[in-house]
This record gives sequence, C-alpha cells and structure tokens, in this order.
Amino acid sequence: MSAVPADLLMMLLGDARLPVAGHTQSATLEGGVQAGLSAAEVPLYIAARLSTTVRVEAGTAVVARHHLDHGLPLEPVVRAWAARVPSAALRRSSRMQARALLRVSGRLWPESSAVAEAASTPGVPRPVALGAAAVAVGLGPRALARLVGYDDVQTVASAALKLLPLDPVDASGWVHDALLLVSEAADAVAHVIEPGQIPATAAPQTELWAEAHGASNRRLFSA
Amino acid sequence: MPDPTTPAPRGLRLGVCGPVGTGKSSLIALLCRELADRLSLAVVTNDIYTDEDARFLRAAGVLEPERIRAVESGACPHTAIRDDITANLLTAEELEAEFDPDLVLVESGGDNLTATFSPALVDVQIFLIDVAGGGDVARKGGPGIERADLLIVNKTDLAPYVGVDREQMVVDAQAARNGRPVIALSRHDPDSVHALTAWVLEKLEVHRDGQLVPQDPGPMAPHSHGDVMHTHHDLGDHDHPAA
Repeated sequence: MSAVPADLLMMLLGDARLPVAGHTQSATLEGGVQAGLSAAEVPLYIAARLSTTVRVEAGTAVVARHHLDHGLPLEPVVRAWAARVPSAALRRSSRMQARALLRVSGRLWPESSAVAEAASTPGVPRPVALGAAAVAVGLGPRALARLVGYDDVQTVASAALKLLPLDPVDASGWVHDALLLVSEAADAVAHVIEPGQIPATAAPQTELWAEAHGASNRRLFSA
Repeated sequence: MPDPTTPAPRGLRLGVCGPVGTGKSSLIALLCRELADRLSLAVVTNDIYTDEDARFLRAAGVLEPERIRAVESGACPHTAIRDDITANLLTAEELEAEFDPDLVLVESGGDNLTATFSPALVDVQIFLIDVAGGGDVARKGGPGIERADLLIVNKTDLAPYVGVDREQMVVDAQAARNGRPVIALSRHDPDSVHALTAWVLEKLEVHRDGQLVPQDPGPMAPHSHGDVMHTHHDLGDHDHPAA
C-alpha cells in the first residue's frame, strides 16, 4: 500500500499520457463513423455506452479488484467478461490493452502481488488489469468504476476529434455533460463482488461495428 | 530504456523513419530482399490510416505474410514511435516470441523532420530523406537528419530529373552530421545497396556482442545557420490527416 493519496494515483491512471497505447483506441467510435454515425450523435453514443458496454467493463474491473484483494481466483472473472463480450475484435483489443497496462503497472508497482497475478493469468482483459492496478494503488471499487467510465468517455471524445469535423471544446463539453452518467454507471456496479453479478449488457450494434471495423483496412484506430 | 531485469537475447530492432514518400517501405522491401537468405526477419509497419505499407510488403513477396504486422497509431505516428511506444513494442515482442528473428524492422508512419524513435523501442535507427523532396532538406537539419545512426539520401537516380545537385545534397548531409554516416542510395546502384546492407550487418554484430547502446537522436537543440541562432519550429511536411 502506498502513502501517496489515492486521488493523485487515480489521476495518473486516468491520464491519456500514461503510455498504454490509448491513442490507438476509439472505443468503437471509428466503426460507428464508418457506418454513418454523425458528430451530432456522438453524445448519444457516449450515453449508450455508459448504460451498456461500460457497465460490463466497470463491473469486471470491480469484481477483479475484489478477487485480487481477497485471494480469490481470477480465471472465473476473465471467463465472465469474455462471455459478455461477443466481439472477438473487442476481446483481442482489450487483451492487448491489458498487456500494455500490466507492463506499466509491473514497472511502477513491482512489489504488487495483484499486478503479478494478473500478469501471469492468461487472457486477462483491460478491466482486470485495471482492477489489479487499483489494488496496487489502494483505489476503492467506486473510484475504479468511475475511472473505467471516465476513460471510456474521453476515449470516444478524443477519437471524435480525429474522425469528425468538430470544435475540440465541444468534445470537452460532451465529456463534462456525461459525468453524471459516469457516476451513475459506477454506482450501479460498485457493489458487485462475484463474476455472475457482472452486468451482461453488451451492445449488439457496437459489437457489430467493432467486427466490421476489425476487418476493414482503412482505419486510424486499432478498435 | 530497455528493462534491465529482462536481458532478452533477442535480435536487433532497426527503426526506419522519415517524411512521407521518402521511400521507407521500399527501403524495407530492399533490406528484406537483400538479407532474407542470410537472416531471419520480421517487420512492423505504422501506417497513418491504412495497412497499405504492410500490404505492399506482403505483395512484394519478400517475407512470409505472417512476419509483417501493421500497427494502428490513431493518427499519431510520432507518438507511436516516441512518447507511447506500447503498440509497437508489444507487436515487436510478439514477432520475437513467434519467430525469434535476427532482425525486426520497425517502419514509422511518414511524419515530419522532428520524428525519431525512442531508444526504448529500437536499437538503431535510419532516417530517410530523398532527392525528390528537395535539395535543401539536408540543410534544414533536425534530430533525425543530424543524429540518427544512419542518414540515407534516397532515390539519387532521380536527381537529374528533379533538378537537384546530388553531390551537394550529400555534402550538406555530411556537414549536418558531424561525422555520422550518410549513404546516398539508389536501389539501381549495387554499390550503395551493398553499403547499406554492410552497415546493417555491422550493427547486428555489435548488438550480438552486447556492445550496442541505443543512441537517442534526441530533441531539437538550438543551433545556428550562419549568424542567426534559432530553433526549428517550422520543419514542414507534417501530415497528420485532417479530421
């Protein structure tokens, strides 16, 4: 456990400058734009993710955190997550991002057994890696779930600036206006402790976009 | 910096960067063609918004397709080789785990004159400019031109057609580099191709001997042309695609 205040560590984990390949991600916005999603619809997309995909991710992170904190096995968490993410492209991308985050976590918190366990478990996705980082820095479940939601919104907003004609301040406005929804999504999953309690709220449209995007050969973003 | 706790006996990682259209993909295809019978090779490409370079290399038939992987850089080619190398590093490690290659070539997305590789990603780096980009490019300087391990002035066979004094461009390049090597390359000139492969093989030997320390071309330093001190804020041809 670190003596550094948890809110500062949360800022570090939520900062796009952390070298975890965040710049390669669009949270499937690019797939949506390829299918005709417009700039005006992006706030709706953000809100839709906060009631679907983000709850799967945040719930997985919270349960992974609980399991790592209580010496419970990670494999059931990984399986529960995989069962809730039908798109192979999204699973692949999440696992790549987990490797990126675990690389950083292993260097920043080399003494953390949670990080070491996540790194040695096959196929862990990004939310499980985030759960391990949360244990390493002493971040609670609600803060962790908020981090997942906030990062998702920022990922969509920053990718939108690359993909659509926008004033960057408008994109920041979208993030600001989604913060209450982030908080609500986090509240909805902050209490879960068992893999079976992770919301099974994948969004079929997002998954379809992700699959089509994964097969396209003209794209800025990995997923 | 490479992690000192994992002294991987891996192959050499060679980065190739330089502005758009200077011939990075062709250079990599050339290296593959020249070295594939002697070395086990793999390639990571960083296209801006397609996997065009990876497809070009696969179509060239110089390597098995599965040894050529494209990495998306989210329209940030500079970031992907410098301040967040994660996607490239993970891909290079994947290729190393699967094929144990002697040499991994990392092709940067075409960027501007200030983009160079982090020494945590590649062991050595080549910076590429070409005569068709203008005879004055070498004089503009920048970290890659001045301090990459090797500077290539490419497409020298085109010099007469684009009104560039090839010899002067090479002299300018040498003057900018304070003794570091420069190769004036044309794929139609076997001597220049041999000079290139000899340089790569020499670096590979030094790497295998454990003597290679990655050199960072580093950030821009203020320097003077004649009597005017300035920094380069105006190094052109930045090609981040528009939104």
